[in-house]
Amino acid sequence: MKRRNILLSAVGIGGALLVGWGVMPQRSRMGKGDLMLPTSGDVALNGWLKIAADGSVVMAMPRSEMGQGVHTALPMLVAEELDMPLVKVRIEQSGLDKIYGNVAMFVAALPFHPKDSEADHQTTVVKTGEWIVGKVARELGVVVTGGSSSVADAWGPVRLAAATVRAQLVAAAATQWGVGAEQVTINQGVLTAGGKSGHFGQFMTAAAAVSPGKVQVKDRKDFKLLGTSAARTDVPAKVTGKAQFGADVRVPGMVYAAVRLSPMLGGAPSTVDSSKALAIPGVERVVTFAGLAGGTAGLAVIGISSWHAKQGALALEVQWQQRPLGALDTDVIAKQLSDTAAEGGGFTFHSRGSVDDAEQAATRKIEALYSAPYLAHATMEPMNCTAQVLDGKVTVWAPTQVPQMARDIAAQVAGVSKDAVTVNVTMLGGGFGRRLEVDFVAQAVRVAMDCQGRAVQLLYSREEDMTHDFYRPAQAALLRASIDTSGAVRSLRIQSAGDAITPRWFERAFPLLAGPVDGPDKTTSEGLFDLPYNFAHQHMSHTATKSGVPVGFWRSVGHSHNAFFSESFVDELAYAVQTDPLEFRRRALAQAPRHLVVLNLAVAQSDWGRPLPAGHALGMALHESFGSVVAMVTQVSQQADKLRVHRVVCAIDCGTVVNPGIVAQQVESSVVFGLGAVLYGRIDIVQGQVQQTNFPNYPVISLAQAPVVQTHIVPSTAMPTGVGEPALPPLAPAVANALYALTGKRARSLPITTTSIG
Amino acid sequence: MAIELQINGKAQVVQADGAMPLLWVLRDVLNMTGTKFGCGVAACGACTVRVDGQAVRSCVTPVSTVEGKQIQTIEGLGDAKLSRLQEAWIAEQVPQCGYCQSGMLMAAAALLDTTPQPTNAQIDTAMTNICRCGTYQRVRAAIHRAAGTAKSEVPA
Repeated sequence: MKRRNILLSAVGIGGALLVGWGVMPQRSRMGKGDLMLPTSGDVALNGWLKIAADGSVVMAMPRSEMGQGVHTALPMLVAEELDMPLVKVRIEQSGLDKIYGNVAMFVAALPFHPKDSEADHQTTVVKTGEWIVGKVARELGVVVTGGSSSVADAWGPVRLAAATVRAQLVAAAATQWGVGAEQVTINQGVLTAGGKSGHFGQFMTAAAAVSPGKVQVKDRKDFKLLGTSAARTDVPAKVTGKAQFGADVRVPGMVYAAVRLSPMLGGAPSTVDSSKALAIPGVERVVTFAGLAGGTAGLAVIGISSWHAKQGALALEVQWQQRPLGALDTDVIAKQLSDTAAEGGGFTFHSRGSVDDAEQAATRKIEALYSAPYLAHATMEPMNCTAQVLDGKVTVWAPTQVPQMARDIAAQVAGVSKDAVTVNVTMLGGGFGRRLEVDFVAQAVRVAMDCQGRAVQLLYSREEDMTHDFYRPAQAALLRASIDTSGAVRSLRIQSAGDAITPRWFERAFPLLAGPVDGPDKTTSEGLFDLPYNFAHQHMSHTATKSGVPVGFWRSVGHSHNAFFSESFVDELAYAVQTDPLEFRRRALAQAPRHLVVLNLAVAQSDWGRPLPAGHALGMALHESFGSVVAMVTQVSQQADKLRVHRVVCAIDCGTVVNPGIVAQQVESSVVFGLGAVLYGRIDIVQGQVQQTNFPNYPVISLAQAPVVQTHIVPSTAMPTGVGEPALPPLAPAVANALYALTGKRARSLPITTTSIG
Repeated sequence: MAIELQINGKAQVVQADGAMPLLWVLRDVLNMTGTKFGCGVAACGACTVRVDGQAVRSCVTPVSTVEGKQIQTIEGLGDAKLSRLQEAWIAEQVPQCGYCQSGMLMAAAALLDTTPQPTNAQIDTAMTNICRCGTYQRVRAAIHRAAGTAKSEVPA
């Protein structure tokens, strides 16, 4: 089968849904007011917005706040169109109607080269693919927060919904005041015309009865709020302890549960002696459960507090059995991945020219094998969920990125219809992709079924959280370049190997759509196949493996390790042809003007080419992910054998910026999160058992180690692109490249330790 | 057993096992959920409260050991109005997910009590709380802001 046909069949997920598309009208994402929570005194004008009697606006919020600032950014879109103060836009959790589904995230999952996806340059295959997936995503209507997609997805529908409300309010005021609509202005949430004025609440009922006519969103030259660093709306509650996270849910009469999951991933309890646990005062019951939603089987102990439950869980005497397919071992897997990468083959994600011919004709070849380990998410708030099963109804309180999946799994576990389930999304104490899974929701509902109608809060210990994650997969890649007689790089071949994430997630999330054969998964090759450099001959292929380790989405996903491979290797090539890494990249970016601008901005703001303190060196990296381009220059030193990152200068082009303050926060966040993976991050599995258990043996970056991060944003009028993840991938190679500049030692595996470089 | 605690200036009698960590007494007995559980082994600082002014990790502090001592939690940091520290936290837009921030603020409050104008090195030593969102440079800036020290001072 030709590559394009494979791609199109892969994107044709849910083939049955294809039937009838031709006759289905393009579904509006505006929605009707009845999709919003009916609240007395408010008037809902569409599926996104209600007007309150006091003139404030209530927005239906389908995205989860996990630190990325989405509860500020999306209301800013509303406040801008309505010319009202941001603080007067309140949010309430949206329902799960398809209008709230995330279309942008699914379209971005297509394995197309970014060059082919740019506006004006789209090929037929790309256009067709994006259209099909856009339609599928619209029909599926998956309410999910992930893929750095929230602003890009909301940009069209939310602004249109707000502009429509504006038109209705203006029309209602114009009619009441007997003036033309063009005479009515709005400023700070107040409508004014001909000496009369009033707030939105005074016209809400009349507005609901008028047709908005032809609605235009604001021209960007009229933006007042968008592009400013408006204060985050969630911050005040987060400095007083009032913000409610999943673990903070309190329900009258509730009990608490601690889990004890099989220490061997995929294993199960064989014999259990609960007598000592049940003898502890305050411990009342033990519940056994099978592996749910991709999680591992185990037990839960119910008690009068999380502490009592934990004491019970520790007192359980359990014999465990290994997974039926045999114990997992990361040393074995790492060796297999390296061998597979060296062998090559698999799916070709990108091919240009003839790498075979170029390699034959080459005078020199440069080759390197790179690798990266499994990683845990280690969100600050351990996995937890509160559930209540009462009178045939299920109520769930969960810090989740996927409320719809949470509802569906709750219904499945409790054996009730989806309509009988209510999911309340709390604040998330970090997500990073871990909360795209619903194993902990399934377990909480299962335990709640044994709690006689009382609510139960199931909370993982840090140890259970770290040893039962859906890990960032390990990956290996062989990179080979050929250099011609003139000393120019002619070809780049990348052969990678590692587990696919998306098909495994689909099996857990949407089993009916998973299909018997894995389609090509962009996450495996992103950051390798989609490079901006103009080497004449390129071939990037990936062999998707099935290690059996539960794998999931980890902040920036495949880019998180692949950018380390590709941008470190590009640095190797620069040195191989005796060219400054900056100059080498500039030349290879002749057809990538957007990348060049970003690179040049980072360099201009850094000390590149200038004298540095003794024992310091700079490194750079450039990477595109989630539609955004990021360049970084890092300054490092080595003190007593310890690698220290002092400063990270970052330039980012993420299209139109809604809130530059939040962009800076996310860059700082990505740098620190990424640096943990560079210096420490690794999960080892021996005899099926994860060895790292808590922060003392899975260290993360501390305040004392945190570099100074400087963020510079490229002005842009393009569509907004990702912000929460794109600044993570270039950090690792920028640090590794600086280390090479400092020591002449090349790090080709993560984490970078004194023994891993040579 | 009945234990009398002084929390945020108020006496509270709780029925609890003396070995129960203060964290869980606060969260699950008193439903004061501002103090967070992060690691259970005093490694992350999410559970930081102040006991007689000192920052302590309440996840490993048996409640029996703090009887009669002055306990301050995030709920008591800015009782009537926000403390200067909380205002600085807002001005610097420190929190992201926010889960670690109660502990961060309590650790910072303890630091500023003993060291009203901390240097970067003193901040490094005192602020050992973990934040996975990487708010550290804003934490540092907010402490300097609250202390009135130069914000431009950059760590080595």
